[in-house]
Amino acid sequence: MSVYLVRRIVATIPIALVTSVFVFAVMRILPGDPVLLIAGEAQSDISPAVLDRIRHEHGLDRPVYVQYVTWIRKIATGDLGRSVRNGQPVADILLPRLLPTAQIGVMAWLLALLIGIPAGVVAAVSPNSWKDWLGMIGALAGAAMPYFLLGGVLIYVVALQLRWLPASGYVSPFVDPLQSLRRSLMPAFTLALGLAAVTTRQSRSSLTEVLGQLYITTARAKGLRERRVILGHAFKNGMLPVVTILGIQLGNLFGGAVITETIFAVPGTGRLLVEAIFARDYAIVQAVVLLISLAVIVANLAVDVAYGYLDPRIRLGRGRRRP
Amino acid sequence: MTGPDAAARAWRRGLRQRLRRFARRRLVVVGAALVALEVLLAVLAPGLAPYPPNAQNFMRALQPPGTAHWLGTDDLGRDILSRLLFGSRISLQVGMVAVLLAVAVGLPLGLVVGYVGGRLDEVVMRIVDGLMSLPPLVLALTITAVLGSGIQNAMIAIAVVSIPTYARLMRGQVLSVRENDYIGAIVAAGAATPRILFRHVLPNSIQPIIVQGSLGVGFAIITESSLSFIGLGARPPTATWGSMVQVGFQYLEIAPWFVLAPAVMIFIAVLGFNVLGDGLRDALDPSLRR
Repeated sequence: MSVYLVRRIVATIPIALVTSVFVFAVMRILPGDPVLLIAGEAQSDISPAVLDRIRHEHGLDRPVYVQYVTWIRKIATGDLGRSVRNGQPVADILLPRLLPTAQIGVMAWLLALLIGIPAGVVAAVSPNSWKDWLGMIGALAGAAMPYFLLGGVLIYVVALQLRWLPASGYVSPFVDPLQSLRRSLMPAFTLALGLAAVTTRQSRSSLTEVLGQLYITTARAKGLRERRVILGHAFKNGMLPVVTILGIQLGNLFGGAVITETIFAVPGTGRLLVEAIFARDYAIVQAVVLLISLAVIVANLAVDVAYGYLDPRIRLGRGRRRP
Repeated sequence: MTGPDAAARAWRRGLRQRLRRFARRRLVVVGAALVALEVLLAVLAPGLAPYPPNAQNFMRALQPPGTAHWLGTDDLGRDILSRLLFGSRISLQVGMVAVLLAVAVGLPLGLVVGYVGGRLDEVVMRIVDGLMSLPPLVLALTITAVLGSGIQNAMIAIAVVSIPTYARLMRGQVLSVRENDYIGAIVAAGAATPRILFRHVLPNSIQPIIVQGSLGVGFAIITESSLSFIGLGARPPTATWGSMVQVGFQYLEIAPWFVLAPAVMIFIAVLGFNVLGDGLRDALDPSLRR
């Protein structure tokens, strides 16, 4: 197991490097001289000497690769730089924005599991029945549903017409747990639907495959109840690929957060990214994008490790994780 | 009864069978119909739209759906139906151009890298993995932020985001096709590498790319509308579904149709391409049939 673990971690390093170089490069080619932003507004006539001093202070006069190494070294020590707009440390701006996104993300993830796995199992157990069709049509619709449609309908019906839940905003669970739940329910559900659709399809197809295996026939032949066959023998094996999907989809949850946090006015990481893009605050954009990609890389690593743990064939190298 | 003739006939028979199988699957028909409807609406938009898409009439702002304006009017009194119809042109255009661009880069990349293998394959695939570790929408956002807002830049951003998918898919296909005896035979016969790649490996690897292409148009449409929704897509007054949703949200309470109409259009368009893609996968790959 430990050999497998080390191998997986080592394989992750080049991916993280590529991502960091990419994030760094993108921010360097952003239009507009960051020095002018730091110095204040571009229109004011600042003497070139002052600009040079600022450029020097921020290390922007050094070769690009030196800047990259300095940047990485700083990040490794937790220094994410300062906002180009107001000079506040990026970490201070970013930290309070993490909780809303994480809370809603975890809720969405759980909702997707609660909807997707039962729906997929029911569909797989009775193929071509009305339940199967309903599940598959639901999954197709869920996958194609834009966040604005579901979010808009929810806000209009649940918040504005029925007045059951507040339409927008965010309250920390540490301040008022009930209010926090009430405000995060709609964004979480909006975010969950697409993931639930993917989970439904994946659980259906992988469980269907497992149900065709000989050991299932054996289980049935020895007279086990169908319930035992499905839940005791097929379920665990059938759910393995679902683990992978849920890990891979973490990135899409972040992408979705950009939209849902805009719709529901949640002060989270996704909203921060949009604000920073419009403010041309490259230090924040850089930090957010890097953070998101690292989260995705770590999630994929965790999935790989979990997979190796659940399926010994993989960690012993006798099977391939993905086709 | 010479070879090429018989082969052509067998191919035609295979095609007929495939088409019949294609039509038997209801989902494909539904998907194809939705996509066809979508294309038709976009092409005929100037004829179908009851009003010019940008004609403002402040006296008739935020009218509910009725006989004069079937889907109501927006905050500037513009006819929502007309704007939806013209918006479909942009969505389809972005979807198709972005996918074509992504395939144009990703397909040859995956083909060459998968066939050549070795160090090149290793390096390119690590870059692809790195790009894929960024959520597509976040990456598209960042690229659009760098390039500046606008339809063309949105297309480029969506294409860049999609390239890794096609490159990886193509590479995987090539790796398995390469092992076939008929490729070995062609190599032994001394064919030049480009000929092997484009005449023999490519046609046998293309099916998943076609399927992914259809799904990719759906992805591109939803991503473009997301970018427009955030304010990084087409500039006003150009009618796009995403920007209509963006403005509409400000009037959700008094004019829900303003958000719903474009959001439903996005849904139907994406659904159409997704269903078509799924159906194509089933129709093209008999091993996946239930």
